[in-house]
Amino acid sequence: MTREAAALDVPLVELVDRLLNRGVVLTGELTISVAGVDLIYLGLSVVLSSVDTIRRAGAEV
Amino acid sequence: MTFLLRAIVAAADAAVAADVGLRAVSGKSVAALASPWNGTTAASEAELVDHHRTIQAVFERVPCLPARFGGVFADEGAIRARLAERDGDFASQLARLGHRCELAITCAWRDKGATPPVPVVPASTGRAYLERGLERSRGERTRERRAEEIVARLLGELAVEPAFLRHRTCPRPAVAVSMSALVTRDEIDEITSRLERVGAQLPDVTIVVQGPWAPYTFAVSE
Repeated sequence: MTREAAALDVPLVELVDRLLNRGVVLTGELTISVAGVDLIYLGLSVVLSSVDTIRRAGAEV
Repeated sequence: MTFLLRAIVAAADAAVAADVGLRAVSGKSVAALASPWNGTTAASEAELVDHHRTIQAVFERVPCLPARFGGVFADEGAIRARLAERDGDFASQLARLGHRCELAITCAWRDKGATPPVPVVPASTGRAYLERGLERSRGERTRERRAEEIVARLLGELAVEPAFLRHRTCPRPAVAVSMSALVTRDEIDEITSRLERVGAQLPDVTIVVQGPWAPYTFAVSE
């Protein structure tokens, strides 16, 4: 599945969406922006590969 | 010194901060885990990647509520003050989620959401223009209906409690369904197998499963 995912580029968007748009916030903080979101999609493929590799090795990630 | 919020954990788990190189700011029932921040107001790819890795490192060890990327506080006192306002809410969420994790289930159109090619020659009449728009609209409605059918199949197959599922249909042209499932680690293999089975019966989409991740979608601020 992961090879197909990489070819589709879809999962990168899914993770970025969660990092930027979901999760808890504490009101009152300064929110920093993220530059170059398109580039971030590409860079995250490294993380996704690592997570998948660790999971296949049996570790809990 | 400014701090970037990473996650919320139970106060009893605050000691995990030392294992993952974070600072813990404890409240009554919960603790905020944060990193020193360089004070800039714009982040790069590296910071976003680091945020995900940091949260995963915490989540490997203890249950946590992942923080949305980008919350910077002037000092520990600012975190403590805000945390006090939400202590009970965060404690309830941690109790509700337990150590369940999030699986991201994406159904991508095999044709990548291809739409009919736009003619190079512009519509010669108003009627032709309107007919093109109508055709495009019909295509979108057809995809939306098909995505709803796929959701129904997934819901039937997964047998996960409805409160532990979230989904969107057609969030982007290439995606039919974007779904988040909150599951225990023991359930992951079975759910993945079920998705592979149902995926084999859906000729128009490819199902991609990612995770386990910290429960980004199920940690809410309302």
